[in-house]
Amino acid sequence: MAEPRPFHPDSDAQAAAVYNELRQLAAAYMRRERQGFTLQATALVHEAYIRLAGTDIVFKDRHHFVGIAARSMRQILVDRARARNAQKRWAQLDKVSLTESLVHAAAEEAMLPALDEALTRLEQLDPEQARIIELRYFVGLSVEEAAAAMNISAATLKRRFAMARAWLFRELKGGA
Amino acid sequence: MMTSSQWRRVRDLFEQVVDLPGGDVQDWLARQEPDPAIVAEVRSLLEHHTVAGDFLNEGVIGRVSDLLAADTVFEAGAVLGDYEIHKEVGRGGMGRVYLATDRRLGRSVALKVLAPLLARNAAERDRLRQEARAAASLNHPGICTIYAIEEIEDQIVIAAEYIDGHRLREEIGGTTPSPREVVDAARELVAALAAAHARGITHRDLKPENVMRTKTGHLKILDFGLALLEPRDGMAAAPRITTPGALVGTPAYMSPEQLTNGPIDVRTDLFSLGVTLYEFATGVHPFAADSPMALAARILEGKPQPLSTLRPDLPRQLVVVIERCLQKKPEDRFVSAAEMILAIASGDLRPVSQGGIGWWRTHVRATLGLYFAAAAAAWLVRESFHGASELLFVVVALAAAFGGVLRGHLLFTERVHDRARVLGELVRGGTLLTLVDMTIGLGLLVEGLWLTPARPLTGVLVAALGLWFVVARLRIEPGTTDAAFGAKIVARAGDR
Repeated sequence: MAEPRPFHPDSDAQAAAVYNELRQLAAAYMRRERQGFTLQATALVHEAYIRLAGTDIVFKDRHHFVGIAARSMRQILVDRARARNAQKRWAQLDKVSLTESLVHAAAEEAMLPALDEALTRLEQLDPEQARIIELRYFVGLSVEEAAAAMNISAATLKRRFAMARAWLFRELKGGA
Repeated sequence: MMTSSQWRRVRDLFEQVVDLPGGDVQDWLARQEPDPAIVAEVRSLLEHHTVAGDFLNEGVIGRVSDLLAADTVFEAGAVLGDYEIHKEVGRGGMGRVYLATDRRLGRSVALKVLAPLLARNAAERDRLRQEARAAASLNHPGICTIYAIEEIEDQIVIAAEYIDGHRLREEIGGTTPSPREVVDAARELVAALAAAHARGITHRDLKPENVMRTKTGHLKILDFGLALLEPRDGMAAAPRITTPGALVGTPAYMSPEQLTNGPIDVRTDLFSLGVTLYEFATGVHPFAADSPMALAARILEGKPQPLSTLRPDLPRQLVVVIERCLQKKPEDRFVSAAEMILAIASGDLRPVSQGGIGWWRTHVRATLGLYFAAAAAAWLVRESFHGASELLFVVVALAAAFGGVLRGHLLFTERVHDRARVLGELVRGGTLLTLVDMTIGLGLLVEGLWLTPARPLTGVLVAALGLWFVVARLRIEPGTTDAAFGAKIVARAGDR
């Protein structure tokens, strides 16, 4: 593990560092994704960077940074989905067949704001699990990558992810 | 709500059993944990774990990438392939549109930058590309010409004719268009549709946002065949980005068969055309509703307010044509855009003047009064000539009574209902009314002639009254009806 190094994105050199970190983070999923996807990943990284650069957060270490970056990506995606009236579409969706309906990208997009709210509730109960979901789902890290970012074993991460996923699934299914 | 110690306990138990194969987990749990609430929570989570499928298992970005792509913004001066971007001129569910220069040819183009195709397999992607290319081959003054469809830096880029003008959407709700303008819009749009349909290309997303009015006042349809490129992913009814103040995006102009995933053909475009023309003419959407769901329900089952009530000045034939486009079942609409063109051309397209209705009312009222006069005259003749004209009196009086009822009903319908309903009554009762009036007219004519030798003045008056009925029905009434409703349409409708 690298030595914790404080950095602040205000100075140019550090801004470049933030940018590179984000790119590497994005590269984690860029490698695995099919052709034609690079541009979106880059766009997301750009925007995440712009949001980060506008804050006064001093990053304690790499993990702290990855966490904040993941949060930033989550916010960007959820904001975009909200801007497209996702909540309304979500309200109209048949939740009984949640897993089937999520096969459609449009449904998944509609789900984002509701997922964001549920994730905020999960955060109250278990911040670690919420972070795992952010890394796996919003950033797209693999089990191993996420485990490394969280400093826990892959097996532990897998089990915590499973519980967080089950909990969120129940929340989103609504009622029952 | 769980306390944090309870939550930790739930988590520990969950993590111990989640990887075990099913079976006696329940008993094991009960032995480990005395608190039934915690056991229940673990069990519930385990159940949801097994049914959650692929939920959250894969990173979201790859699948909702159009969330990001739609917002890829190019600044003035940016270069995309051979195109130099000048400014953004619009945006929609499919992406942003820029005014750009094609540097190879030095001409201005409207450059539409689309989200990458999200179709899952290569064959599907190729099919979409092919259809888009077919649409690009269209060449018609009423269709925005597509110059090129290219894939640049993973994005689909469409270079099209740059049209200096504004979208039809901007006219809706402003000044009410004249009947002439509505007729022209109908003619131009249906001609453009016919040209595309003739080449087997349907639009599938016709709406006021997709129609441009050029500086010279003509209409051009945008985005022919490109609806296919939009990532719908089965969520057909999902509203896309909408411009502020506009009704929700695409679903508002979808046909019932599009909403129900039925087979789609050229008649789908005719439905959307009907909705667009209706909205252009009246300023209101025929199926306007508060939510997309309510709107879809109205498209599927609701009846729009009759166009003739909102715009009584529109040519009757145009109203008939537009309302036929709005039929729920494709088979009740026109078979093709070409048939719709014929229907528009075959009818009387003069605006209906509002003055005519007064004359028509006067005529019907006068005739009503004269029925009494006719009956009275027949009675008079019967009194003077016992026996001989008994039968004639009965016939004339009965006809007059019957005619009175018919015309009274027409007046009532005209007062209470809309013109379309009156037209229906006119068509249905037309032959009967002619029969009634002819009977009275001829009856009085015979009686008048009969009476003349004995009482010349009365005889001539009665005969003249009879003659009036014949002339009024055959000559005057068509005129007043024409002025009020457009009689040629009545005649044609009567033929059917």
